[in-house]
Amino acid sequence: MILDVKKLETGYGKLQVLRGIDLSVGQESVGLFGPNGAGKTTLINAVMGMVKPWSGSIEFEGSRIGGMQTHMVARAGIALVPQERELFPGMSVADNLELGAAYVPRGKGIKDKQLETVLALFPILKERYKQLVGTMSGGQQRMVAIGRALMANPALLILDEPSLGLQPSIVAEVFERLAVLKKDVAILVTEQNVRESLKAIDRGYVIENGRVLLEDTAEGLAKNPHVVSAYLGL
Amino acid sequence: MKIRGSYIAAAAIAAAVIAFPAFLGAYPLNVARNVMTYMALAISWDMLLRSGQISFGIAGLFGLGSYASILAVLRGGMDPLLSIAFAALFAGLVAFALGFAILRLRAMYFSITTLALMEIFRIVMHNLHDFSGGPEGAVLPGVIFDGNASALYWLCLGGLFVTIGASAYFEKSKLRLALTAIRNDETSARSNGVDIFKYLLVAFVVTSTLQGMMGAIQVQSYGFTTPDTAFDANFTLLPLAMALLGGIHSTIGPMAGAVLLGIASEWLKLKIPYGHLVVYGVIIILVILFMPNGLVGLVRGAMRNARRQGTVAAGTGATGGVE
Repeated sequence: MILDVKKLETGYGKLQVLRGIDLSVGQESVGLFGPNGAGKTTLINAVMGMVKPWSGSIEFEGSRIGGMQTHMVARAGIALVPQERELFPGMSVADNLELGAAYVPRGKGIKDKQLETVLALFPILKERYKQLVGTMSGGQQRMVAIGRALMANPALLILDEPSLGLQPSIVAEVFERLAVLKKDVAILVTEQNVRESLKAIDRGYVIENGRVLLEDTAEGLAKNPHVVSAYLGL
Repeated sequence: MKIRGSYIAAAAIAAAVIAFPAFLGAYPLNVARNVMTYMALAISWDMLLRSGQISFGIAGLFGLGSYASILAVLRGGMDPLLSIAFAALFAGLVAFALGFAILRLRAMYFSITTLALMEIFRIVMHNLHDFSGGPEGAVLPGVIFDGNASALYWLCLGGLFVTIGASAYFEKSKLRLALTAIRNDETSARSNGVDIFKYLLVAFVVTSTLQGMMGAIQVQSYGFTTPDTAFDANFTLLPLAMALLGGIHSTIGPMAGAVLLGIASEWLKLKIPYGHLVVYGVIIILVILFMPNGLVGLVRGAMRNARRQGTVAAGTGATGGVE
């Protein structure tokens, strides 16, 4: 297993958000669905070390990372594409990408190769290479964010709502790219847009109120009555 | 090609500046030393600013360096030149220790704390009568290099060169990415593997070392200091104004600002002996209102516009890219 989360409980202050989550990601693409407030982002924050686990365990490639500092988690090989992008608007595309590889040991050595991969995946970034990220469109910024995460040559790529605020055609493009990526890197992606993301994932979890409600393959989820009524709106 | 050109220009300017004492008399050299001191402080302030932290503690570390140097000579019998290195290290060490506490603060809280530290250092020196000389200050038996104007100039220039070198290193090395990332978004920087505290500490210690060094050079060049001169708020305010005027987040910006404001202030001092600092305040306000990116930003903007007009004329189209 690349990521193994067991009986994870955590929250903010006195507010408990996760009430015993079990989730694992192998060499595959895994979706994480659920309504607002279900705990999707909190789970990601816990994996990234931004929220300390109260109990339970988080293992990455066999070693415990629960409670580790965020920059150490990143260096271990988990790259995050945060919600709302959180890019460096005052930096160029080139700098953003370079930064992705600069501080992560497994990204450093193969920087040029990764850059080639990223620019092949998102050709628009090549055209805008020297442009300041803050002056680019939402869709392009999302591509920079994904590209920057990939520069670290991660074992696990986490995306927190990659479709948020993007127009449908760009959303489809982003998921198309993710479907290509999953051959090389394990992916954990949270989404509100279940329909589009089902095309890019192998398996998915639905979490509600801090617990895993159900877990199934992409095909299974697409047929599940609860998923169909609550998330696919049919 | 372009880079080589700018290196040659920099070397030529450096050579000219080193040769100044051959052409200039004592008064212009004295003015030049003033400008260089403020320039070094402005650059060092900017270096920390590149991480997003606004320090109001320049005068505190400058004064600390002054006192460390003068007291090392007076009480410890240290060689004056060596005492400058000692004072620089001392300021760096103090910053290292303080950094663990204050670098956990952000934005306004960090700024206010650095301002308070400056006051604390000043009050301590004010009250340590037996050790620091109290409010009357401390006097050295003599000025370094026997007060030779050229030697004093070169000493100050040396301090400035060290500062410019450190700033250039900040700009060229991996530090630049880390500091810019921290300034832009800490969460994102962290999740890209940047150890935020480590880089803030490096920036704070290096800039404090430079400020302490300039304080020591200043005190050795004048031969005396008092709490009110060593911790003069001007050592905080003028470098800040210079960096803002010239353009922040670069080495060249604070340098340009220091030359302009430094020379302007000498002239204003002659014209308005008791009110010239009011002009500084007005300059800061005007710059923030009308040129938030400073002179360097103005020039860069003009160059970008010229280039854009060029490409549009050539028919390749603009690369605005905002949908």
